[in-house]
Amino acid sequence: MEPIRKEEIDDQACGSLAPKSKPCPRPKPGEAAGGCSFDGAQITLLPIMDAAHLVHGPVACAGNSWESRGSLSSGPSLSQYGFATDLTNNDIIFGGERKLKDSIDYIAGRFAPPAIFVYATCVTALIGEDMDAVCKEASERLGIPVVPVNSPGFVGSKNLGNRLAGDALLQYVIGTGEPELEASMGVNLIGEYNIAGEMWDIEKLMNQAGITLLSRITGDARYKEITWAHRAKANMVVCSRALLGLAKQMESKYGIPYFEGSFYGAKETTYSLRQMAFLLNDREMERRVDRLTEREESRLSHDLRPYRKILKGKKAVLYTGGVKSWSVISALKELGIQVVGVGTNKSSDEDVQRIADRVSDDTEYIPEGGASRIIKTVRERKADIMIAGGRNMYVAMKEQIPFVDINQERHKAYAGYEGLLRLAKELVDSIANPIWKLASSPAPWDKEGSYDR
Amino acid sequence: MSNERIDIPDYSSLFAEERYIQQRENKKQFEAPCSDEAKAEALAYSKSAEYLEKNFERKAVVINPHKACQPLGAVMAALGFEKTLPFVHGSQGCNSYFRSHLSRHFKEPTPAVSSSMTEDAAVFGGMSNMIDGLQNAVALYKPEMVAVCTTCMAEVIGDDLSAFIGNARQKGAISEDFPVTFANTPSFIGSHITGYDSMIRNILAQLFERSGQAAAPGTGEEGEKLNVLLGFEPYTGNFAEIRKILNAFDTKYTILGDHSGNYDSPANGEYEYYYGGTKLADVPKAANALGSLVLQKYTLKKTQDYISGTWKQQVASLSTPLGVKATDKLIETISELTGLPVPESLKEERGRVVDAYADSHPYLHGKRVALAGDPDLLLGLIGFCLEVGIEPVHILCSNGDVEFDDKKWKAEVEELLASSPYGSEAKVYVGKDLWHLRSLLLNDPVDLVIGSSHVKFAAKDAEVPLVRVGFPIFDRHHMHRNPIIGYQGALNLLTLIVNIVLEQLDNNPSGLVDLVR
Repeated sequence: MEPIRKEEIDDQACGSLAPKSKPCPRPKPGEAAGGCSFDGAQITLLPIMDAAHLVHGPVACAGNSWESRGSLSSGPSLSQYGFATDLTNNDIIFGGERKLKDSIDYIAGRFAPPAIFVYATCVTALIGEDMDAVCKEASERLGIPVVPVNSPGFVGSKNLGNRLAGDALLQYVIGTGEPELEASMGVNLIGEYNIAGEMWDIEKLMNQAGITLLSRITGDARYKEITWAHRAKANMVVCSRALLGLAKQMESKYGIPYFEGSFYGAKETTYSLRQMAFLLNDREMERRVDRLTEREESRLSHDLRPYRKILKGKKAVLYTGGVKSWSVISALKELGIQVVGVGTNKSSDEDVQRIADRVSDDTEYIPEGGASRIIKTVRERKADIMIAGGRNMYVAMKEQIPFVDINQERHKAYAGYEGLLRLAKELVDSIANPIWKLASSPAPWDKEGSYDR
Repeated sequence: MSNERIDIPDYSSLFAEERYIQQRENKKQFEAPCSDEAKAEALAYSKSAEYLEKNFERKAVVINPHKACQPLGAVMAALGFEKTLPFVHGSQGCNSYFRSHLSRHFKEPTPAVSSSMTEDAAVFGGMSNMIDGLQNAVALYKPEMVAVCTTCMAEVIGDDLSAFIGNARQKGAISEDFPVTFANTPSFIGSHITGYDSMIRNILAQLFERSGQAAAPGTGEEGEKLNVLLGFEPYTGNFAEIRKILNAFDTKYTILGDHSGNYDSPANGEYEYYYGGTKLADVPKAANALGSLVLQKYTLKKTQDYISGTWKQQVASLSTPLGVKATDKLIETISELTGLPVPESLKEERGRVVDAYADSHPYLHGKRVALAGDPDLLLGLIGFCLEVGIEPVHILCSNGDVEFDDKKWKAEVEELLASSPYGSEAKVYVGKDLWHLRSLLLNDPVDLVIGSSHVKFAAKDAEVPLVRVGFPIFDRHHMHRNPIIGYQGALNLLTLIVNIVLEQLDNNPSGLVDLVR
C-alpha cells in the first residue's frame, strides 16, 4: 500500500485534518436543519458501551435524546444512561464547574466506569466553562480517564461533531493502552456504530476470513480496546466523511494505512474484505478472503433471486448522508433497483463524486433538505419507494409512498451479505404491502378522484 | 409475494441465535470484565435500601431525566394555530431534537425551522440569522404566522428578539403586517410545559393586540361563549373528546391552541405542511367570550393570568380531567360557564362508565402503583386511581416545582391523597429523576407503573409492568389517538389498565389460567 501523499491530506473539505478550502457546509437559517455537533459527537462516542457519558449543560440536551439511538450493545449498558449536570439559571450566572466536578465524582463512585466522557453544550461553551481543567483534575484525582468532548451544538453540523469526537479520541484515548494479546494482524473499523447490530454481522465475516478486529471505533466498543487502536495494521473508515480525519491523523502519527469502504451490498463488502487482507499483506489471508467472498456471493445471489425478480426496474429515491449516500446505491443496484433521485446535502464533494460514479446520468441530485423537495422528486420521477431517515418517514406516509428507514432508528441490520438479503426483503415487503394499494385507490364514492400513484 | 419464504429476523431475534451468542462470549476475553460475583454484588447494592438513601442524597447529577425543555413545548404550542410555522432561534440541533421527539410520539411529521446559529452568531449575536431565517422560512414554507422561540444559546448571549424582528421588518425580510410572535424559552429554566405556556400566552396577546380591539367579555357577536385551552396535550384524541362534550352542550366555543390537526392528519396522497389549528382571526374574537376553561392549570399559569388580567374573563381552571369525578367537575364547570343544562347523552355515557368500573373493580382494588408524569396529568391520574380503588404509592414529578399562584402543586396533590384512604401510602417526589424512581420501585415494590416510555427501563429493572400514559410514548403505536379525558377517556384508561392486570394474571407462575374473568 502506497502511503497517501502529503498534499492529498488537506483536499477533502470536511473530514480532513485542517479544512482549508471550505468548512462543512453551514445550514441556511430558516430551514428545517439536521442535528448539531453535540448530537454528532454523541453518535460517535455513545457506542462506547461501558463508558459513562455525561452531558454538561441544561437537562434537555440529554433529556431530549437519551436512550433513543439504535447502537446495540452485547454487554455493558452504561452508555444508555442519560447523565446530565442539569445547569439551571444560577449556574449560568455563577458557573457550573462545581456541579460538573460533583457529577463526575458521583458517577465515578457509583458506577465505576472505565472512563467518563464529558460533553460540552451550547451553554457551557458560551459561559466559558473550563471543562478541560475540571476533567484533567478529576482524571488525576480519580485515576480514570475523564475525557472532555468540546463539540457544543452551535459550532456546526452533525458531521463536524463526529469529527470533533474523533479528535477527542485521538487526543485523549488512542495510544494510552496496549493490547493484551498479540495483535499484529489487527484492523480497526472506524465509523461503524453497530446500528441494529450491523457490526456483529461484519465481525462474523471478519472472523470467518481470519481477520482480527482490533478496535471497534466505536460500535459496541469497550473503552479499553480503543486505547490500543494505534497498534492496528490497517484502518477501515466505514462512515467516510465523519471520521476520515481520524484515520488520516492515525496514518501520519502511527503510520497505519487506511482505506474507505462500506459493507452495504455484496460488491462493496467483498471489496472491503479484500482491501483489508491486502493491507495486512498476507497472501494466505487473501486466498481465504477470496474463497469466503466467492462462497457468500454465490449463496447470496441464489437467495436473492426471488427478490430480484420483484425489485428489478423499481425506482427509488434515496435521502441519507455521508457514506450511505453512495454505498447504499451500490446495494440497491445489485438488487436491480434504479436510483432516480439522491439527496446530497449531507455529502462531501468526494461523496458526490462517488455517487456520480454509481448512478446513471439522469439521476436527480437533491441538494437541499426538507421533505417537500424530496417528495417532489419522488412524484416527478414516479419512484416506487423512498429510502430515508425517521424525520422524513411520516411525510412519506402522508404521501402514500412506500418507505424504508435507513438511519439510526432502523431495526434491521443491512450490512454484509446477509444484510443485503434483509434489505431486499424489507424493500419487497414495503412495496408489496397491501396498504399502498388501499391508500392510493379512491373510496367507492369518489371514483374519479384517483391519486397519482 | 414470492413463494420462497426466507425467514429474516430482526435484531431482537437474530442476535439471540447461538452463533452470535458464541461470538459475544468469545469477545469477553478482550473486555476485562468484572467477575460475575462482583457484578451481582454491585447490582444487589443498587437495589438495596442503603443505596436508596444514598441515591436520594444525590445532588450533583441527573440520571435518566424525565422532562423535555421549554422550546419543545413552544413548538407544540405554535402548531396549535392555523398555518403557523414554529421557528427555533438558536443552534440547529435543538430544532432537530424537537422534530424527532414530537414525530416519534405522534408518528406524524413536525414542521419547524431553525435559525441555525453558529460560532459567528455566538460572537456577534444572532440578528442576521434571525433576519435571513425569517425571510427564507416565509419564502419556503409560506406560513401565515411565525412563532419564534429561543434556545439556550440565544438566551445566554442575550439576543433581543423584539428588536431583531423589528429590524427584519425594516429590512424588508418580512412585511410590516406579517404576524411574528416570540417567546423567550431557555432550557435552563422550567420544562416543556413552561415553554408551552409562554408561547400560547404570547400568541394570544400578540394576535389580540394587533387586532386593536378592547376586551369586552360576554359581548361576542357571533355567539362565542367559551374558550377552551388543553395545554401541553400529548393526546390528539383528547381534542376530539372535548369537542364531543361541548357539541353535546350545543354551545359555541373556541379551542385556543389545537395541534390535533397537525398531529392527526390524513394520508390522502398530498402532504400539506399545515393542518387545522385555531384560526388566527378567532383569537381576537375569543377575547369577547364569557369565560375560559383551562384543562391544565399548572401548565398554563401565565396564560391564565393573561386571560383573567387583560381579557378580564372568568377563568375556570382544572387539571387534566381523568376519571368520572374529574369529568363530572368538567361537565359542571361547562354548565356553569355557559348556563346550559347537562345534556342527556353525557349523563348516559357517565352511567355506562360507572357500570364498566363496577365490572373491573375486583381486579383493580388495592393494586399499588407508581406514577410519573407532568403535574396536571398526575393530578388526573391520582384522582382516577383513587376512585377505582388503586393505591398510588410513589408519585414522581420531575417538573412539579412550578408554583401556581399562592398554591403549590405538591400541596394540592397531598390534599387529594388525604381525601381517600387509598391515598394514605402515597409519597410525592418533586424534581427527582427516573434513577430515583428505580430505587423506589426496587425497595418498595408496586404492582404497576403508570408513565411515559422513558419509565420503561426503571420498570424493567424492577420487573413491574408499565402502563403507558403521558409524554413521550415512543414504543407503542396510536395510544395518543384515543382520548383519556372525559367519560370515554375514563373508559379507555380503565380498559388499558385492567387488561394489563389481566394479562399479568395469565402469566402468573402457578400456570393456572382462567377462561372467564
